[in-house]
Amino acid sequence: MQTTVRGTILGLAAATMVAIWSIGAAAGPAQHRAASVTIVWAASPISNNGLRQHLITAFERAHPGIRVRLQSQPTNTDTNRQELITEINSGSATPDVYMGDVIWPAQFAQAGLAMDLSKVFPSTFWRRFAPGLVAGATYQGQVYGAPFFMDAGFLYYRKDLLARYHLPVPRTWTQLAVDAKTLLAHHAVRYGFVWEGAAYEGLTCNLMEYLTDAGGKVLSGTKSLFDSPASVRAVSFMRSLIVSGVSPAAVTTFQEPQAMNAFAQGQAAFLRNWDYAWSNSQSSPAVKGKVGVAPLPAFSASGYPGYSNIGGWNLYINPHTEHLAAVRTFIEWMTGVAGQTQLATYASEIPTNAQVQRLPEVRKLNPVLGVVSRVRLVARPAYTPAYAKVSSALYTNVNLALTGQLSPRAAVAKAAQAIAQAISGQGL
Amino acid sequence: MDGGSRLGAGLARRPAALAFPHTRRAPATLRGRRARVGYAFLAPAAAVVASVTLGPILYAVFLSLSQVRLTGEGFATTWAGLANYAILYRAPEFWQALAFTAGYTGATVLVEVALGLVVALVLNGLVRGRGLAMAVLLLPWSLITVVSAEVWSYLDNGAYGLIDYVLVVLHVTSQPVNWLGEPTLALVAVGLADVWKTTPFVALILLAGLQMIRRDLYEAATLDGAGPWKSFWRVTFPLLRPSLLVAVLFRVLQSFGLFDLPFVLTSGGPGTTTQSLALLAYRAMFNDLEFGPGTAVSVVTVAAVVLVAVLFIRGLGVRLGEAGDGAA
Repeated sequence: MQTTVRGTILGLAAATMVAIWSIGAAAGPAQHRAASVTIVWAASPISNNGLRQHLITAFERAHPGIRVRLQSQPTNTDTNRQELITEINSGSATPDVYMGDVIWPAQFAQAGLAMDLSKVFPSTFWRRFAPGLVAGATYQGQVYGAPFFMDAGFLYYRKDLLARYHLPVPRTWTQLAVDAKTLLAHHAVRYGFVWEGAAYEGLTCNLMEYLTDAGGKVLSGTKSLFDSPASVRAVSFMRSLIVSGVSPAAVTTFQEPQAMNAFAQGQAAFLRNWDYAWSNSQSSPAVKGKVGVAPLPAFSASGYPGYSNIGGWNLYINPHTEHLAAVRTFIEWMTGVAGQTQLATYASEIPTNAQVQRLPEVRKLNPVLGVVSRVRLVARPAYTPAYAKVSSALYTNVNLALTGQLSPRAAVAKAAQAIAQAISGQGL
Repeated sequence: MDGGSRLGAGLARRPAALAFPHTRRAPATLRGRRARVGYAFLAPAAAVVASVTLGPILYAVFLSLSQVRLTGEGFATTWAGLANYAILYRAPEFWQALAFTAGYTGATVLVEVALGLVVALVLNGLVRGRGLAMAVLLLPWSLITVVSAEVWSYLDNGAYGLIDYVLVVLHVTSQPVNWLGEPTLALVAVGLADVWKTTPFVALILLAGLQMIRRDLYEAATLDGAGPWKSFWRVTFPLLRPSLLVAVLFRVLQSFGLFDLPFVLTSGGPGTTTQSLALLAYRAMFNDLEFGPGTAVSVVTVAAVVLVAVLFIRGLGVRLGEAGDGAA
């Protein structure tokens, strides 16, 4: 009896071990067909009309030897980043190429999560991109991301309401406040100006626009410059928008969808948002045909147009890819005239390819493209690997100033202190 | 987020499993031998479970004692002793997150147990329609938290939210209330969403406990002249204690791993007022790539949960598995 039981147990244990081992073995690398190469492209959804699959189909037609499998990533950028970090840092060879935020190069380069593209492409390759974009993807002299599509902050306004009350399209922030108050006084809208003021990355983008216009800077090299009168001016003005009723108090909880929603429902006169807000407002019955787009205002009329924060996405290569040649072809095509034209005409994204940006047929489709050549661009200080910490120091403290929990001066001082700590590698 | 919540909840839930196995000393050798055979049968399964539960915890402890660098092919670690814990000790964000998580847990669990008890007593008294009432009640519990949090964020919106609309129409307030934008209100809003979701869960456990109390005890109490109030405190409450303990433990463990609600509703704001420990750990690890301090936050969370669980079990003086088996 005793021995039989022991035997059974041993047998069971052995069987379990074999089962576990075989599961592990089966999960090994997949076999590749000899005829064509399959690469995996990880990308979060770009537009709501299937742009990624559209691009893949067009690419596969141009390059029949390469097949692309789409690995759809989460829309939430933090979740997206977390998945990529986990996957690549575990040594996985896929995704071979991935779409990542423009603020990732330094962090990803330092952590070994992105391949140095300076060694993959000749220096002539980078000439195709609009000015400033390659510099934004550079860390310590090497380029880590190929600019895929760009974005910037724009001012969307209700042209029907401005016309009805004979108001100008604002060129200064003061004018915007006057316009908004006039429309509010006439009960033409419920809210004047909506933007992104929640404690998240988007608030840093909004802040950069006021801050740069006020003459301020977050960092110079590795030195924090944030504790300055210009910063206080920028934050004070943002707070004053809420105090004066130009913006609803709820903007302190708004991310892009909430701001977009309020504007698309016809509740707000002005909206600060990205490129996608154009096509989005064209599909909202409440505001369709009533929306105009312009560069953001400035503090002084002579400073017009104001600054727009650069957003957008790059293509990065997984350092562990086993199909570098195919991936190189893929990036060549995606950032070339063919791919970029599809990107701009099929989903009205802003191309990074300078030649495509100038094409008349592309410009005609998307009025935002006409505006983008006039705006002054400012990049977030993402050249430091500690940028994520720098940004959260900015948005958590500025958010508290917007809600009135901290004075603008105190918020700036606290943020500056946290930034200095982040840069020196201390703190949590 | 998915991974994050799994991480938070997973780390927090583990001690529950550790707390449950209670074994009685077997008096007879035959019983002892049978128990040994039983354990032997259990061993392969236990080994598999341990490899996916204990393994990660021990690895997290190891990382929290190291200086961790991402290499693109895993982690490069150098021994750092308690340096990461020293960072936590000096970081105001950590103390704030700990205070928020503990206070939030205390408040929501208290409300949920009180409400859940009322609901359970009512359900237990129902003669008809108990099944239907339970099905309706369990809807909030069965909804995925991220989904219900999205709905709440729409309801709570300070510009076009339904709650404000109703309040303004009813003239309760003249101006929309910025629910998620004020520290105190944001705490209330997150807490409310939690109470809405998990009160049914507590009610369900307590209802199971109530149904195990024998009817004749109440008859005896009535014969002895006890009114409803007295029979609640003398019969119901003492016999319900094991179920109460289970409910409180489950809720405390889950609540300490709070992640998805603030992640969706407030992203930790305003400022960092609703940043839970799990959210802080997630940010440190996956935003800032600070895996050393990040895992230290997780380890502290687990330690705090284990401590709370032990205190509760001791304090309530009940042994799990006496009457609470059915509920657990």
